[in-house]
Amino acid sequence: MSVAVRLVPVQEAYEDLLNRTLSRISCDLGRLIYLASTRDYNTGNYYHEGLAGRFSPDIARKALEIAHRRAFYELSAFSLEDLASDLEAYLRSSRENPQEFLRAWQKLEPYRVAIPTEVHLTVARLFTSNLRLALAILRFRQEPSH
Amino acid sequence: MIGTSSALIGAVVLLVLILVWIRADSASRRLPSVLDDWLPDQGEAREICPPEFVSQIFSGQDLAFISRLESPDLKRHFLRERSAVALLWVQQTTAAIRRIMRRHLEASRLSEDIEFATEARIFLQYAQLRLICGVLFLLIGLAGPQKLHGIALYADGLTQRIGSVLGEFKSGSRTREMDGAPSS
Repeated sequence: MSVAVRLVPVQEAYEDLLNRTLSRISCDLGRLIYLASTRDYNTGNYYHEGLAGRFSPDIARKALEIAHRRAFYELSAFSLEDLASDLEAYLRSSRENPQEFLRAWQKLEPYRVAIPTEVHLTVARLFTSNLRLALAILRFRQEPSH
Repeated sequence: MIGTSSALIGAVVLLVLILVWIRADSASRRLPSVLDDWLPDQGEAREICPPEFVSQIFSGQDLAFISRLESPDLKRHFLRERSAVALLWVQQTTAAIRRIMRRHLEASRLSEDIEFATEARIFLQYAQLRLICGVLFLLIGLAGPQKLHGIALYADGLTQRIGSVLGEFKSGSRTREMDGAPSS
């Protein structure tokens, strides 16, 4: 009973986050990166001002954590073809120079910071491996002969 | 004469197996440098990989997509990356099942109501899984993960089964402890 009472606000906060914020982001990779950006690098805790104000910092933190993990597992399950399309959509939405973007992402691998804690190591490795491949595919498509 | 040829063939097969093992082992040893410190803390992570990802790692769908792009470099890159992930899965599965079995053996030693048939079945499944993982470790580098889809799914099913049987065993012990029955 007490668990159910505790979970309901988290579910509400999660749906609120989904409807108000995440639905405005056009691609799955963008949603994942946004959710990862709500995590404090020093403590690993999540914070979202609007959500914390409407619910409570604790409930907001839990909802963000669940949303982050779910977004990560969803994106990790993408086929390479779908991931390359999603990455392309993210690249377009960033409005950066595509060549510079691809070069920076291949070199710095910023997507590693988007991995939530407490996910299976093999899935985390599959995620980084697939993103490396998706970047290589986009670069290949940008070559003059294509 | 036949004895000498058989011994020679045996020696060659053994040598090939050792070379394959060394190759697979060195490929998997390279993983931590790729993963470095950015990957999540494994302390509380799930021990067994979700089955849909095992199917994805060993699936031929992504290879078919890469092959359509007609780039030998991309294909090589893909095969290297996917083999590394598949080898990591084999290592993680072996380590997880070893940990689960060790915990089970510790619990069994303290338990008074051990069923021999159940214990023997668990041990046989464990031995089978360790053997399959060893075979997968050797074959991933040779044949590529895509050709091992069926055997990987079988190994994963076996892992889930052992995990759930031992989970039931553990919860049964806990229930008995809560009911006041002696378990140690």
